Amino acid sequence: MNKRNDKLGFAFTAPYIIFTTIFFLLPLLWSIWLAFTNWNLISPDIQNVGLGNFIDALKSPAIHAAFFVTYKFLLVFVPLAVVLSMIIAVLVHGLPKFKGLYLVAFFLPYLSSGVVTSLIVKGFLSYNGPLNTWLRNRFDVNIDWLGSPNTALFVVSFMIAWKMSGYYALILISGLESINDEIYEAAMMDGASNRTIFWKITVPMMYPSLYTVLILAVGVSFGIFTEVYQLTGGGPNYATNTWQMEIYNQAFVNLKSGYASAIAILASIVTFMSISVIRKLIEKWGHHYGWN
Amino acid sequence: MFAKKALVGLSLLVAAGTLAACGGSSDKSGTANGKTEITFWAAPNPTQVKYWKQMASDFEKANKDITVKVTQMKESPSSEATIQSAIASGTAPTMSENITRSFAAQLAQSKAIVSLNKDAETKSALTSIVDSRDMAKTIDGWKFSDGGQYVVPLYSNPMLFGWRLDMLKDLGIKSVPKTYSDVMNVAKALKAKNSKSVVWALPTGADPTAWQRWFDFFPLYDAASDGQAFVTGKKLVADSKAGKEVFDFVQELHQSGNLLTSKATDPFETKLAVMNIIGSWTFPNWKEKYPDLEYGKNYTLTAPVVPDSMKDAKNVKTYADAKGIVVYAKATTAQKKAAMKFMQFVFKDAKNDLSFLKTTSLLPARDDAATNKEFTSYFEANPYMKPYAENVPNAIPAMDNADYNDIQEKLGKDGWIPALKGEKSPAKAWSDMIASIKGSL
Repeated sequence: MNKRNDKLGFAFTAPYIIFTTIFFLLPLLWSIWLAFTNWNLISPDIQNVGLGNFIDALKSPAIHAAFFVTYKFLLVFVPLAVVLSMIIAVLVHGLPKFKGLYLVAFFLPYLSSGVVTSLIVKGFLSYNGPLNTWLRNRFDVNIDWLGSPNTALFVVSFMIAWKMSGYYALILISGLESINDEIYEAAMMDGASNRTIFWKITVPMMYPSLYTVLILAVGVSFGIFTEVYQLTGGGPNYATNTWQMEIYNQAFVNLKSGYASAIAILASIVTFMSISVIRKLIEKWGHHYGWN
Repeated sequence: MFAKKALVGLSLLVAAGTLAACGGSSDKSGTANGKTEITFWAAPNPTQVKYWKQMASDFEKANKDITVKVTQMKESPSSEATIQSAIASGTAPTMSENITRSFAAQLAQSKAIVSLNKDAETKSALTSIVDSRDMAKTIDGWKFSDGGQYVVPLYSNPMLFGWRLDMLKDLGIKSVPKTYSDVMNVAKALKAKNSKSVVWALPTGADPTAWQRWFDFFPLYDAASDGQAFVTGKKLVADSKAGKEVFDFVQELHQSGNLLTSKATDPFETKLAVMNIIGSWTFPNWKEKYPDLEYGKNYTLTAPVVPDSMKDAKNVKTYADAKGIVVYAKATTAQKKAAMKFMQFVFKDAKNDLSFLKTTSLLPARDDAATNKEFTSYFEANPYMKPYAENVPNAIPAMDNADYNDIQEKLGKDGWIPALKGEKSPAKAWSDMIASIKGSL
């Protein structure tokens, strides 16, 4: 019976394993090989440069900038996304009816095209767009939203948070609904305030869903590309130039595929290490509240 | 345990088999059924695809032994990346258009394209094309530092400066500005009137993306330096005096509050800006969105503005947004000959260039673009295109260096942007930029 179950298990997982092997594992191995060459995919000459690409990447100011910019995005985007999605989850959870409809409405931005929303935002925030026109007429203030390093970073982070918060809210709502009402009743009978209930009961009991959302959000912040590409091109002065932008520029604009592969590997290592550290921190927090 | 090993083995087998099946299977001889087959990738622009399909059809009728398959090249994520992938996978076409001089430098460095004036199969045909299409002067600007001619220029869009005549009239300015001082006079007039408009709205001015420099720095630099190259091969040969004058001009304009670098939608069209750099591809969009814009009535077009010392200069140079056709190295002898024969057919008759112009609104890269009788009726119907045609011989294409992206990024990041924003003096910005670029060469 066990052998039969094993065979069935393998049979069911085989398509995914084959798919992963062809479209992820083999390209990954090829990319690792490419990172040790200076090949641009079109020249007949391929030279092994050893660790040259990695050393160049580690010395490159653009890579240093991308490293710090990515962490800046993480520090802005993750809290923003989690707060927004929590607000949506709590609000929808408290609705007496039509919860599903509201959830779908909040989920729609997740389905939208990053390119289209970027173009709309670009027009909205432009010098002669509605926002700046109103600010100039009302307060005689002009803000170059996408031309200033801090505002550009915030705009991109907010855009992605808006896009993702509906999706994250779906996950958080499942956490909210798993909390037994009797716990709230007991807390209220003990005289706990709403704020205390939220921070001492709701949030800790949402640990599994919060954990998922946090890790997903951290992963997104390491993969930001579309909005930066469309809105700022990595500017102003590389203030929004992420790892992905740098990989794209090196691979597809400068045709330095080997170098781009090296950057991609470095980015993967940094991403993996960062997510591991953040995961440990979240688990420590969860442990504090009795989660294993 | 055995099942696990078997599954892993099966996965690898299937993967290997799939990859082998995905391999390109090109016909090495380039012939099929006794006919030579060539593939032509047209630009990702429906009008250009339409034009080339018509040309291919006409050519095949006159040359029954050659088949020309025209397809549109993909832009995933860019046409250059598509070509890169195609060459890597052995599925590159025989020839394609949409190649800038800089991208051709990358391809030439990788030996992916044919040097048309050196290859035995192509050189005499190239000479014939240059003669019949009257493009000796135009193609001269496309020669590479190794003496190779890798691209047959197809179109050349000189970048011109557009001026709002209506706004200049309101400001009491009677003649269209030509020099930097003239432009600063417009700035002073705007300030005197407390106008909310600016001289120049350049939303991409602070964008570090390499190709943006083609549409802000290079038109000014080519004018100020009288067409002196920026980089030739591996040498930085830029005219420092001209470059610093350009930096000085944009810094002064920005500091006067008249060079706007915030993102703005259609600033020239909406009278937010008096001046803008205009490409000829703009007009079809204006016909739909801004039909009130009329050449000679509320706007005009000129060569780029120049330093005051060049106020009497004639034939002011500018940057050419120009692309051409290449033949890929993987083409067989028969295919190279057929490709050149196709180009000879297309370019021998000015009527085909007129058809190209009418279909695409892109100016054919020929020295007589403004004077050839075939185009007279077109320019009468579209007078705003005549200044572009007149400036084709004055238009300088992109540099021939495979690292042009890196170079232009450094030009932007270390020179143009800090100078424009006043973060560095023009001289410091220029010297920092030179030092940075030299590191790439």
